[in-house]
Amino acid sequence: MTQYNILLAGVGGQGLMLLSQVMGDACTRSSIKVVVGAQHGLAQRSGSISAHVRIGDAYSPLIAYGTADLIIAMDATEALRYVEYLKQGGTVVMNSRMMHPPLETAPIVKNRQEKLTYVTLEQVKEQLGKVAGRVIDIDAEKVAAEAGNPRTENVVLLGAASALSGFPIQSEPLKESVRRVVPERAVDANLKAFILGQQMV
Amino acid sequence: MSYQDLTDPKPKKAFMLCNEAVARAVLESDAKVTAFYPGSPTSEILDTLYLLSADYPDLKMEISSNEKVALETVAGASMAGVRSFTSMKSVGLNVASDTFYTLGYTGVNGGCVLLVADDPHAHSSQSEQDGRFFAPTGHVPMLEPSTPQEAYEMARYAFDLSERHKILTVIRTTTRVNHQYAPVEVGEVKRTPFQKRNWRDVKRPYFTLSETARRLKGEALEKLMKIEAEFDSSPFNKIVNGEGRIGVITSGVSYLHTMDAADALSVKPHILKLGTTHPLPKKLIVDFITKLDTVLIVEELLPYLEQSIKAIAKDADCGLKILGKESGHLGYVGEYNVAVVSKALSSVYGVNSPIDYEAVLAKAVELKSVIPKRLPVFCAGCPHRGTLWALQQAIKGTDYVLNNDIGCYSMLQLEPYNLTDMMICMGAGQGISSGMQHVVNDRVIALIGDSTLFHAGLPALVNAVHNGHNYTLFILDNSVTAMTGQQPNPGSDFGPNKVTEIDIEAVVKGIGVKNVTKIDAFDPKPNVETMKKAISQEGVNVVISVGPCALWNDRKKRAAKITIIPNKVGKETCKSIYACVRDFYCPAIQLDMETRQTAIQTDICNGCMVCAKLCPVSAISSTGGA
Ligand SMILES: Cc1ncc(C[n+]2csc(CCOP(=O)(O)OP(=O)(O)O)c2C)c(N)n1
Repeated sequence: MTQYNILLAGVGGQGLMLLSQVMGDACTRSSIKVVVGAQHGLAQRSGSISAHVRIGDAYSPLIAYGTADLIIAMDATEALRYVEYLKQGGTVVMNSRMMHPPLETAPIVKNRQEKLTYVTLEQVKEQLGKVAGRVIDIDAEKVAAEAGNPRTENVVLLGAASALSGFPIQSEPLKESVRRVVPERAVDANLKAFILGQQMV
Repeated sequence: MSYQDLTDPKPKKAFMLCNEAVARAVLESDAKVTAFYPGSPTSEILDTLYLLSADYPDLKMEISSNEKVALETVAGASMAGVRSFTSMKSVGLNVASDTFYTLGYTGVNGGCVLLVADDPHAHSSQSEQDGRFFAPTGHVPMLEPSTPQEAYEMARYAFDLSERHKILTVIRTTTRVNHQYAPVEVGEVKRTPFQKRNWRDVKRPYFTLSETARRLKGEALEKLMKIEAEFDSSPFNKIVNGEGRIGVITSGVSYLHTMDAADALSVKPHILKLGTTHPLPKKLIVDFITKLDTVLIVEELLPYLEQSIKAIAKDADCGLKILGKESGHLGYVGEYNVAVVSKALSSVYGVNSPIDYEAVLAKAVELKSVIPKRLPVFCAGCPHRGTLWALQQAIKGTDYVLNNDIGCYSMLQLEPYNLTDMMICMGAGQGISSGMQHVVNDRVIALIGDSTLFHAGLPALVNAVHNGHNYTLFILDNSVTAMTGQQPNPGSDFGPNKVTEIDIEAVVKGIGVKNVTKIDAFDPKPNVETMKKAISQEGVNVVISVGPCALWNDRKKRAAKITIIPNKVGKETCKSIYACVRDFYCPAIQLDMETRQTAIQTDICNGCMVCAKLCPVSAISSTGGA
């Protein structure tokens, strides 16, 4: 079976589900088979959320461990959280931004004399590199600001992913789906974010 | 799917969530009355119909106070002759079950469909309840889809089946089906005008007792025999032909995992995918297993299919080996995935998986050891944070037992609070408190949200007042049912229809509670004394903590173009005391690693000011919007 598996990871409230909507809509309108298994999580913001995007001949809404071609993560720590899905030599496109959850801050504060620190981007990259063939980190916050809307970080990463060789959906249908899925007033900034993202790869 | 696609009456193919596809089928089936109480993983069905009911005025959509009332509402509409629909999560049907079981006897009139969604893995539920057993014990038919397309088609068919046989029809899903997106081909929406009718024109008896009950039960079982014959040739039961004499019988999402697992292992079992799981299509099953030596039953949770199929095989004298949970090939706990099914299949076939899933998982666990857990925490601006901070201070040094309930505040059991002695199901906190206060020396404290109070909390409160019990009840009134997506509840001032807002304070006083205090959730310091007083008093005491859900209120503000103004930490005043981190856990607060002072992420903070009020050196203040 030919399939392309993408694991989307992020923190609630970052617009991760919009990405699966855009990819699913683009596949549907390009007559490409697709199934997405979403982990909606509870309503609270700031929990870890994920979605399994399976393009091609796939049945299960869940990617099998070790078979994702690509992880797209809105937060670097979240890319590593789902590393069991990545295939050996797979690709990671991730935001370099890291939201440090309260559970990470609390021990630092409790043991203040030990001068503990947050996990760093370099540490995360090093760990990911033990499975991934390629890890691309993008300061999506900065690029989104450049696109004119700080809430377009998700589309920046999608643009970057779409520029990878082997990515199964063409740019034009993706852009068309961005137009269809995002609110009208945000279309221009999102399309700009998509193109700026493409240029990052 | 875009809302435009969903509401457009034309047939089309569009990418949609299973729950949206079900809502579309309800619309196309010309269902007239729908009623719901939210619960994951079904909430998007009601969220979608909430939106659609604004475009289709002939579709009545209500949010009920609980699942029992919702089921009764749609059953009543069906008895009066129109099509109707409700959906609920697994445990929701427990609440509605008294009504459900008798509807199995009385039958219905207009097509009446109930979707119930189980949650293997207990992703967002208190148990891994297997709701399939409701259908055989309730004498109603059950359909189980695997994909959004099938859920759509089954929902369309369910109305027809229900109406022809005058029988309530159940569609049973699981989380991985409800939360699956795929392209779905939908039909045309052709609605008829809502016509009121006269009871005398549709009238027939819907009551049951002794002799009538026995007669109706017999009739229900006869209907099911006719339905079984229909199911024997139903297109929802599908055979995928394979090779050799090994087969698989499966249903729901397990079918999808099985297809991928067989492909990954390069094995070709014959697969019978069951879409009609009560009554089971016995003839079809016998025909399928007669050609096999071994069959593996792949289903999550309890061995519902497995035990039935063993019985069917025995009656038909099929001597094949039936494997599954009872043979140890598959488990009873948690959800399945490709790795789980692959392991069972590879053992049946005696082949090795090309991927060592266990090794992949073990390596991942090691790689991930450097990152912290990201457990759910109260949102930035959540009113519960302030209320629970104050409660924590108020109970310090007291001997107490804390009985929690179901809602966002259930997170009180997690860090940093680690407070909660009991949490059973919606509304149970008070009933359990009633029992405990008879026995323990400690102060008994119960916690409940506004939605849960209306759902199942009021009978327990009436009971406690009537029987003269001693406990303190904290009602956390955030205006909505937050945890399931901020739907309105009876205390809300909005809804899909014109609503009357129920005043919680008046209700509580009306029941006869003498000590009722209302507090502002966002003003934690003075609340500590109020709470201490309430906890120390004899009798049933109620504290109502009021503050809107941040997700809901911020959305409302943005829609009204009201700017949300975040806070900031003053670099000069902050002494790194960390009161805003310890005991607080706001996701907007992080450390600036250079200065080791706290820093507020302005895109997350909504300026609720609770941290500012608790900072001992007043280092936190509003950015003023600059
Ligand atoms: C019988 C039943 N129905 C539905 C649910 C799903 N559910 C989980 S929490 C919740 C209600 C939360 O509302 P509320 O008590 O107001 O607390 P909030 O989340 O707003 O803080 C619901 C409906 C459930 N767990 N059990």
